[in-house]
Amino acid sequence: MTLRGSWVEAVVAAGAVPASHVPDASLGRGDVEEFTGADPVEAGELRVEPLSDARPLAPAAVCFLDGIEQWRVVGYGGITPIVRAHVAAAVRQRGPDRRLRTVAEATEDVAITRLDRLPAGVRRALEAAGVRVLEFPAEEAGQPARALAAARVEVQKTRTALERRLGEAGLRALAADEWLVVDGVLSDSAALSEHTRALGVVKSHGAQYFEGAELERALTLPDGHRTSVFRPRARGARRDIYSWYVRLWPWEGNDLLYGLLRLEARAHPETIALASPIAAWMRAERAPVATPDRRWDRLLYPIHDVETYLRARAPSDLTSHPASRIPNPGSRFPRTAS
Amino acid sequence: MIERRDPLPSPPLSSPIGRVVATEQKPATPHQFHFWTANETSIGIGAIVRVEGLGAGDSGRVVYGVVTDGFAYSDLATPLHDVVGAQGDPAKAAASPTVRQEIRLWTAAVLRQTPEEPLQPVPLGQVHVATDVDVAQALRMDAYLGGAQPTAIPVGLYTSGGLEAPVYVDADFLLGPEAAHLNISGVSGLATKTSAVEFLLSSIFQHFPPHKGRVAAVCFNVKGPDLCFLDRPGTLDDEDRRRYQRLGVAPEPFQQVRYFAPFKADGVNLNTLRTHPDLVGEVEPLVWGLREVLDYAEVLLNRDDIDAKADAFIDFLADRVVDKEFEDGFGGAHRVVTFADLERLFRSIFDGLELASRGGDSWRTHHIATMRKVRNRLANISTRCKGLVTDDGPSNDLPWGRFADRTVYVVDVANVDPLGQDLVFARVVSQLRERLERRDLGVEAVVVFVDELNKYAPADGPETYVKKMLLDISERGRYLGLVLFGAEQFRSQVHRRVVGNAGTAVFGRMDADELATPGYQVLSPATKIKLATLPIGELMVRHPHFTQPIFVRFPRPAVLRGRDGVERYPPAADLPFEDAVARQLLKLDRRVRPNQVKDLIADRREEDVRRALAHTRQTRPQDALAHFKKQLGGRVAAVPAAARESVPPLNAISDEPY
Repeated sequence: MTLRGSWVEAVVAAGAVPASHVPDASLGRGDVEEFTGADPVEAGELRVEPLSDARPLAPAAVCFLDGIEQWRVVGYGGITPIVRAHVAAAVRQRGPDRRLRTVAEATEDVAITRLDRLPAGVRRALEAAGVRVLEFPAEEAGQPARALAAARVEVQKTRTALERRLGEAGLRALAADEWLVVDGVLSDSAALSEHTRALGVVKSHGAQYFEGAELERALTLPDGHRTSVFRPRARGARRDIYSWYVRLWPWEGNDLLYGLLRLEARAHPETIALASPIAAWMRAERAPVATPDRRWDRLLYPIHDVETYLRARAPSDLTSHPASRIPNPGSRFPRTAS
Repeated sequence: MIERRDPLPSPPLSSPIGRVVATEQKPATPHQFHFWTANETSIGIGAIVRVEGLGAGDSGRVVYGVVTDGFAYSDLATPLHDVVGAQGDPAKAAASPTVRQEIRLWTAAVLRQTPEEPLQPVPLGQVHVATDVDVAQALRMDAYLGGAQPTAIPVGLYTSGGLEAPVYVDADFLLGPEAAHLNISGVSGLATKTSAVEFLLSSIFQHFPPHKGRVAAVCFNVKGPDLCFLDRPGTLDDEDRRRYQRLGVAPEPFQQVRYFAPFKADGVNLNTLRTHPDLVGEVEPLVWGLREVLDYAEVLLNRDDIDAKADAFIDFLADRVVDKEFEDGFGGAHRVVTFADLERLFRSIFDGLELASRGGDSWRTHHIATMRKVRNRLANISTRCKGLVTDDGPSNDLPWGRFADRTVYVVDVANVDPLGQDLVFARVVSQLRERLERRDLGVEAVVVFVDELNKYAPADGPETYVKKMLLDISERGRYLGLVLFGAEQFRSQVHRRVVGNAGTAVFGRMDADELATPGYQVLSPATKIKLATLPIGELMVRHPHFTQPIFVRFPRPAVLRGRDGVERYPPAADLPFEDAVARQLLKLDRRVRPNQVKDLIADRREEDVRRALAHTRQTRPQDALAHFKKQLGGRVAAVPAAARESVPPLNAISDEPY
């Protein structure tokens, strides 16, 4: 079963072999796993600061930005995969009534493949289909597994770009006392990393900034504490930013990373003064808990809400529901009832 | 491509208020569907909604439904997560910076689909609040609201979310011949049942279709003053008047009401709460004699009495004795017209059997024990229902054959012995039935209102004459135009064939225990909760045209409530015998002076006075006093007995001791 009326139908009609494969990685995002280093800003070395006396920052309104990516291999031209990807981002605003409402959203559907490796008919069909086609590097096209990994990177780049575009547009619409909380790093965008009321919330900790005792202090941060503010060393095109860790839930009995968030804000002395109020604010965001998401110990409920919103609006044919009894689209196996 | 959207504004009235959703667990079916709404919504249990099919194959399909259940839940996985989020402190749970996503999910039962065929699952379309036109469509009222001969009778207002629409029932299904009868149940003390019937009768009288002929109502007042002031205006507020206006019913009391009540034991004071001097003149006495009672003697017999012998003897009396010249076989000739005549006959028979003294214990094949039993029962009714049943003198009855269109006949038996109530009910309903069969009642349809139906037609208990009669009306009355409006507190305690044959069922506030009985299993838990908390003036209506029960509001009846009536027109104290007689004669003839009457009846036996009064009342002569005097007869002066001369003994009594 191909998608009627879509560009997928067109390329299948042109000779591509229909396929249906949802790589595991399409359900989440990868993380950079490397050591980058950091410079202390608030103190000479990384310290642990209690938050018991900190008064939480309480903005009148907050916008939360998050994005999703979903992709599926829909066909093969020879051994070159043709991927259909959907990325979406949204900003949901929380006002005085404590309810979230969408104020901005953007979506994009793209095809990812290597055009010059496709049969001519399929390539022409794809080019004529009106869908934006992204190409992974030629050196990745030889092996399907490597091609899929490369496709994944393209999907992530597309999503990040969409989020950045929506975030920057959102900044311009922020009211005087309104904050923008972004799921992920701010340092990808100059506008976001320089704004006075933009906050990045990072829940994956692939990138490590410390070693030795400082790393231990960061990863064994007690519940209700934050680290002192530090400046991650620049990586590639990333902008200057201040960052600090905060522990939302006791990690003992769970895992080192349990309930551990890293926050990012603009590199400015005012950020140091706001570090504790912002950390206390994030702790206040623990309720309501973002269950049933398994990352609920680090996932803020409003971010979870944005994600839920986007997933609810995403094309239903891109991911297989675990309980679905419908055979995979394109499968040539006999279809059974279960 | 970036779309910018502002926070959602409140939807205007024409906007959809919900959307149908269907999952494998909760699919849409041809009879039920689910939809969600915003958290702030005017929708509630009982609301009528319209679904428009927009999808492929559904375009043009419109489905009407009534909300039967509602659900609210959030994305909270388990209650424990709320505890964790609030750190065990309930106060903190309300202080979380974000409110969880919630849903208002509603279940609706399908009322109607257009087109009706092919019958398909409800489309997953937009949900709208029903308008007046939608309500008419949804309840299939369009079939009888319009056309050359509309048969719609307003029953109340459907209200939901600020919208209001009149709801009509079909006269052909309320008063026959298609279906008939109405049953209303609800807890006591809220005056909902009586008020609803009063309003509905008023609505029927004003909207009964001319092509269906004439209609009247017979209401049995079995408790208190409930139905004693139907001709007096009650208090209405502006909201009531607005509702009357919306329903197209004039807010006025009944124009023609006739009250009937038996006398008290004294035979001259009426046994009713409508005895205020301003009103008592409009109450007509209900007095029955031997003939009226004997025809319904079965009512008087309890289960132990019912045997062929007693029946045969009663039939013998009715066929061969009453109102005929009759010889008792012991030399006596009788013309039995009254209970007193019958008693004389019985004495004559028993004396004759005793004098015969040849061991004879039968008379005309009837055993003396059977005769004594029948005599006791008949004597019993004249004792227990003294005032209703006269020992002597003529009867006074409802105007059989002269029933008037749009007239209410109230029979007040509230203070009558239960046996008497049964007798009244049995006889009145039998007469109605017989005359409707013969088409000589005066009207084509009669509504009989009986409260406390669980007493007269209980679900269990003996098969009484009254119960059999109610079953007969329920099952065959609609062909005759004899329509039963029954009311009771507990529907489950009324015979199932009586409630089952009621085409229209109305429910006021219900007791939770009653709602737990099997008869209410078809209702959703939410509907039951709504029924258990219904405010005064709101009802749930089931009608053959409605595929689901509908909640409606009705205005207060425009008549004086019984309780208010008793306060405004307090019952008068019983008058002395002479005054009561004078008042009754005065009612017949304005020229009568009380003193004349008092002089006339001074020193006369009360039975004689009652007999003369009854005759005058029945005859209704031009000169009531002269007729009364004639009936009373001449005064017979008492003559002292002559002293007897003593006769000396033949032999003087000697002084001897032996």
